Amino acid sequence: MNSLIKLELARALRNRKFLFFSVIYPSALFLLIAGKADSTTKVDGSGLTLPTYMMVSMASFGALTAVLMGNSERIAKERESGWVRQLRLTMLPGRGYVLAKTASSAVVSLPSIVVVFAVAAAVKHVRLDAWQWLALTGAIWAGSLVFAALGVALGYLASGDAVRPITMIVYFGLSILGGLWMPTTAFPDWLQSATKWVPTHAYAALGQAIEESRAPHAQDIAILVVFFVLFTGGAAWLYRKDTLKA
Amino acid sequence: MTMTTGAASRAVGFEQVTKAYGDVRAVDGLSLELHPGETVALLGPNGAGKSTTLDLLLGLKQPDSGSVKVFGTSPRQAIVAGRVGAMLQSGGLMEDVSVVELVRLACALHPKPFKVDDVMARAGVSQIADRKVNKLSGGQAQRVRFALATAGDSDLIVLDEPTTGMDVSARQAFWATMREQADQGRTVLFATHYLEEADAIADRVLVLHRGRLLADGTAAEIKAKAGARRVSFDLEGAFDEAALRRLPFLTSIDISGQTVRVQSSDADATVHALYGLGVYPRNLEVAGLGLEQAFVAITEAEEAKQS
Repeated sequence: MNSLIKLELARALRNRKFLFFSVIYPSALFLLIAGKADSTTKVDGSGLTLPTYMMVSMASFGALTAVLMGNSERIAKERESGWVRQLRLTMLPGRGYVLAKTASSAVVSLPSIVVVFAVAAAVKHVRLDAWQWLALTGAIWAGSLVFAALGVALGYLASGDAVRPITMIVYFGLSILGGLWMPTTAFPDWLQSATKWVPTHAYAALGQAIEESRAPHAQDIAILVVFFVLFTGGAAWLYRKDTLKA
Repeated sequence: MTMTTGAASRAVGFEQVTKAYGDVRAVDGLSLELHPGETVALLGPNGAGKSTTLDLLLGLKQPDSGSVKVFGTSPRQAIVAGRVGAMLQSGGLMEDVSVVELVRLACALHPKPFKVDDVMARAGVSQIADRKVNKLSGGQAQRVRFALATAGDSDLIVLDEPTTGMDVSARQAFWATMREQADQGRTVLFATHYLEEADAIADRVLVLHRGRLLADGTAAEIKAKAGARRVSFDLEGAFDEAALRRLPFLTSIDISGQTVRVQSSDADATVHALYGLGVYPRNLEVAGLGLEQAFVAITEAEEAKQS
């Protein structure tokens, strides 16, 4: 299976479009949004300045892009082309394909997190303790697995032309409703209370808790765990269905 | 012809296997045995159930009823043990990687791999090693699929319409590659709808039609059946009907009025004998049967034998 992970990874790193959107784009968006903000004004409802707040949002967004895009479209395409069938004629276990895809997209998501941090620290002078940087990286990286599972599920749910629009709707929906592009405090009240249940919101809240040097809310962790179970279960169910059909 | 042998000495065993899609029975009560070392062609027109049969054999599909065994175990167990290498007609290739990267992966995923360079050389893809997989011609892609199927020391090689997309010369070069595998003592099973291809490589031909095994024999036997020609002519005046029916190599005869239509497994001999009867046939036509018609001819012959 390592050989498949290696090849998937080599291929992902060769794909400039994918690298641009998952590694460069979140940092560029960070500079665009936080560019003019000063380093003293706090974001409503949090003790963080806009650059600090948006740094976590954009790192989460970058990781989301890498794992969601990396999985869904590729899987749908390779299911259709028959590559998945061909792999089933090797000794690779059935879940090996999905694990290799997820592992390789997780490797790409790491630089997308670190690059946002580096840009935020260098350009917007975001300062945190060493343990906070490490904890942030770990939390955002681990949390991205939730969306990797979602990417797998989408890849087995949709096929052909349908997968891209569906992935895009889910991707933008999660980004906006989760407050990755702008703090949800800008939303009307009814929407704000709804977005608390969006997994990307809980995902970003995890990082913000670390920035504020406090323990994350139990509710956010619970939401992420529930969605992880939901997405993984859905992906497993769709995978099995696909295997029987193919 | 069929020997009764133990399950362990069989490469492949199908017992009363049925697979349906809705109302259509793609495979209908199929029983067959392949013996180690045989080179077997699975011949049939499109929609005969060839691909479904191979999918069942490879464990990609599960039969509705009946059992499929490969070397006495389930297809999946045989694959995991590295005993089966296969190339699918519908088997896509990983994109955005080079040919050599893909072959290297196939070798890494085989329990008894060959050296990457050897696999590439045998499949004839060494010259295109660095080419991206998505930039290959149809024939080149088939060769790469073949390389994936022969990446390791498998006992059974399964090839689904391996020469699709190849021109005549490429096809003949590919047959040599396939024969090499058979010469090394492997069991080779390939699906094709070219009788010529079955004749060139296989020492046993299974004819599949509507999910059933129509005929099982040597290529020469099948060729004699499927290679039938149609001869038609008109006769003037009275003629000896019984003598016509005794013409050599006839597989069927239809006399309506003055027009006679026969099918013959050796049209030359039949026509020669016809003139020997002293009659003067007019509007004589000799035409080959297409493969589709040949299957119908075999079906009718089989049904006639049974009734």
